[in-house]
Amino acid sequence: MSDHADSVVQLLNVSKGFFREKIEIPVLTNTTLHIPRGDFVAIMGPSGSGKSTLLNLCAGLDRPTTGRVIVNGQDLGELSEARLSKWRSENLGFIFQMYNLMPVLTAQENVELPLLLTPLSKSERRKHAAASLRIVGLEDRADHLPRQLSGGQEQRVAIARALANDPVLLLADEPTGNLDAASALEVLDLLESLNAQFGTTVIMVTHDPKAARRAKRLLHLEKGTFVQADLEALEATR
Amino acid sequence: MKYVPLILRNVSRNKIRSLFTGASIAVSLFLVVVLYSLLMVQDEMAAGAEQYNRVAVQNVQGLTGNLPIAYVDRIRKLSGVRSAIPMSWFGGRYSDEKTTFAQFGTDPRYTFDVYEDYKVPPEQLKAWQADRTGCIVGSLIAKNKGWKIGDKLPLKGDIYPVDLELTVRGIYDGPSSTDREMLWFHFDYLDEALKKKNSPMAGNAGIVMLRATSAGKIPELIEDIERAFASSDAPAKALTEKQFGQQFMEMAGNVRGFIRYTSIAVVVALLCVAANTMAMSIRERTREIALLKAIGFSRSTVLGLFLSESVLIGMLGGVVGAMSAKLLFELVDFSKAMTGMGWFYVPWSTTLAGVGLATAIGLISGIIPAWRAAQISVVDGLRRIA
Amino acid sequence: MRPAGLMVPIKYNLRSLRSRKVGSLMTIFGTGMVVWASVFAFGLHAGLKHTLDVAVHPLDVIVLRQGSTSETVSGVSEAAARDIVALPGIATNRDGKPLAAPELVVIAYLSRRSAPGKANVSVRGAIPLSRELREGMKIVQGRDFRPGVREAIVSRALSERFLGLGLGEEFVVQDSKFTVVGIFEAGGGAVESEIWTDQRVLGQATNRTGGMSSVQFRAASKDQQQRLIARIKADEQIALQAITEEQYFADQAEQGKLIKYIGNMIAIFLTIGAMFAVANTMYGAIASRAREIGTLRALGFGRFSILTSFLLESLVLCILGALLGCLGALALGEIRTGTMNGATFAEVVFSFNFGPEVLLRGAGLAIVMGLIGGFMPALRAVRMKVVDALREV
Repeated sequence: MSDHADSVVQLLNVSKGFFREKIEIPVLTNTTLHIPRGDFVAIMGPSGSGKSTLLNLCAGLDRPTTGRVIVNGQDLGELSEARLSKWRSENLGFIFQMYNLMPVLTAQENVELPLLLTPLSKSERRKHAAASLRIVGLEDRADHLPRQLSGGQEQRVAIARALANDPVLLLADEPTGNLDAASALEVLDLLESLNAQFGTTVIMVTHDPKAARRAKRLLHLEKGTFVQADLEALEATR
Repeated sequence: MKYVPLILRNVSRNKIRSLFTGASIAVSLFLVVVLYSLLMVQDEMAAGAEQYNRVAVQNVQGLTGNLPIAYVDRIRKLSGVRSAIPMSWFGGRYSDEKTTFAQFGTDPRYTFDVYEDYKVPPEQLKAWQADRTGCIVGSLIAKNKGWKIGDKLPLKGDIYPVDLELTVRGIYDGPSSTDREMLWFHFDYLDEALKKKNSPMAGNAGIVMLRATSAGKIPELIEDIERAFASSDAPAKALTEKQFGQQFMEMAGNVRGFIRYTSIAVVVALLCVAANTMAMSIRERTREIALLKAIGFSRSTVLGLFLSESVLIGMLGGVVGAMSAKLLFELVDFSKAMTGMGWFYVPWSTTLAGVGLATAIGLISGIIPAWRAAQISVVDGLRRIA
Repeated sequence: MRPAGLMVPIKYNLRSLRSRKVGSLMTIFGTGMVVWASVFAFGLHAGLKHTLDVAVHPLDVIVLRQGSTSETVSGVSEAAARDIVALPGIATNRDGKPLAAPELVVIAYLSRRSAPGKANVSVRGAIPLSRELREGMKIVQGRDFRPGVREAIVSRALSERFLGLGLGEEFVVQDSKFTVVGIFEAGGGAVESEIWTDQRVLGQATNRTGGMSSVQFRAASKDQQQRLIARIKADEQIALQAITEEQYFADQAEQGKLIKYIGNMIAIFLTIGAMFAVANTMYGAIASRAREIGTLRALGFGRFSILTSFLLESLVLCILGALLGCLGALALGEIRTGTMNGATFAEVVFSFNFGPEVLLRGAGLAIVMGLIGGFMPALRAVRMKVVDALREV
């Protein structure tokens, strides 16, 4: 245990299954995983392999059937629903494949949304949101509504939103899945530089080998267990 | 017909939405049907009154004017008159009730000849005619107040400075369109009590109700009566029973108008509500509609499918709302809670009109959304995700 | 205890409503009509009640024949009336005269101006002191009637509603012609449904000389009022009863009960109907925004914030509807109408009352619609599994 003291994410003997028509379908079985602070991990695997489930468990959006999930020193199993919500707002940043921006709020307001959960004053929230938008290079689009932005820009706003509350851990679910090559590149550059500059831990689920190659480490999930995979192997498959 | 399963499937796909739209229509329709029944029953009673060839004679000054009791005999002797009775509104209070009900001083010999649609057993009629302080009450009010033959009914005078001590001698009945909440007593009993007190109110028949020998005689009779009393102290005005009833509606003022405005507001609100529901449901199904068209459904078929859907929901809501109004007033007797409402019921015609109205609401509210559904382009619709 | 910062910003809801423009407008319009219809019904009853309630001095007493509940059917002999006026304990005016007036009320049967048919109208034979008992009355057109001649003054409401009651016109009371010489207002109240003329002239014209309908007086104090009422009741010889005017009109207001019941029935049914409609709209809103809700939850907004957020959204819809409905009612302006007072058999004229109380009741209905109609959908939003909601297309 002591060698994992610096882990941001620890999954200890985690199993998770889903019930469909009363039959349990196992997704993760006795999985153990340690992700150290400052890591940038890509998780790959065929659909149904449990990638998204893994991400949801790390976010506390889902609870394991057995085992423990400890994120940033907090055992998520000890938190009530309400406490979990608050914990998420303080520790996590989310990036989705479909961006999930509120269509009725401007870029600036979308970024400010998670800050409403903090005790920051209105002007401080403004400042933080503006800073986040500057990091993703969209300060000039602050007053645009999502539908007035391109897909790549929308995803960058989503990243700015994920950054706004200074998260320890950034969870990205297929962040480039809906983007063209150029936009995807921009988004990956951004994630990489966030990891490098601010030391934010990033876990990214992806289908795209090109995206995965940008990570420091690659985990391959197959039928609920990690199989040996490394970046060189990926390189070879190309 | 082959589309029926598809329509049914669509109506029940979002059960809560269809249920709520139907419920919204049902609850509102219930209200409209009850309110409109108030109007319709009044009209129906007025229309029904015509077949009994009755004519009411009152003072030209209206219902509060006097009509000397001697007029009754004079009217009875006119040609074309079969029988005539005084109807003197007593307006007394029974025990400690705050409101009054219909109590009339009359001539027991002719009462049930003029009101031939009201039925009373012959031996009860005889008993009443023989007892000066006797009275006959309607079956409905007797049931609600628990009166039986032989019961004493004290009535405290309100309009008149005398109290009456009556005994129930009979109970009359009649079809549901008749007023079964009246009390009839001997006019002479009241008049003597007034004379004993030297009251100037003695000798007032109130109004005279007569029954003509035939419907054809009525216009002539009305002229004869008005001419006969034109130059007397109390000139009289004769009205058919229908006109007589309308007079009360006119006195009640604009109530009928208000019921109409309210109903219109309800219908407009329902149109908005139903159209909104249809629009939401179609927006969610854009892709499916595009698919239907892609596999060869024509515009008009798509239009028809969606119109049938909204018509079905409207109709179901209407049936539930209107029928529960009908059944409620059929099964529960509200005259107990409110004397004077015994005449009220929900006619079949109004019930069916309610169902028709709900169906029309379904149809009209569906037109724009269904038309828009029919316009959806296959290419755009299939591409759309949300 | 949650800090205010945990709330989803209301502008999110407002803009969502705006982005579904047609749907929101339809719902607002629908609830607006419902509020309008309810306010209309409430306003009718409140107007009638206001007319029977208003401007009654708490010390005023009316004396009627024992057993009668309204002036139109009451009778008081002239001798008894004189005795009552002379009773000690009645308030006096500046000249030291007792504030008491024997009055005569008869019924005229007149034709309506704008609707078919005729209705009964109260004609009051008054004495100069009668006016001191009704301080609100003032002549706004023409002049006062002169004693001893067949002249009358008419309330503005009646003069607009009945043929022969306009300024300078003539009307008939039991075969005698009267001329309208003035129009008065009284700031509402039962007097607004009356014609006034000289008591003696009216008595002669209707052969009622020697008999009054009632005596009205003002007691000097509450104690005196109770004492006088008891004293008149105790005198079995004259067979009269005295009741406070407050009581007299309260009894007549019983007649308004049917209108009240019908009004409440309309409001209750329409509100229930509207609840279903609001629930539908909100269900639709929530279904199409599942992913947004999932995102909010993932960002850390708790269940409570989501619940309040959607309840607020539904409340906003209904309150906008209420605003529309209330404005719609106010836009009708002053509607005057009349109905038969079941106690006097005479027409009582009144204005719809769309006062703050009536409007607030309409708004209250809207809040009920919004909260109850929005609750189940909001609960569904809360119950959504974040993981599934995020996957919704």
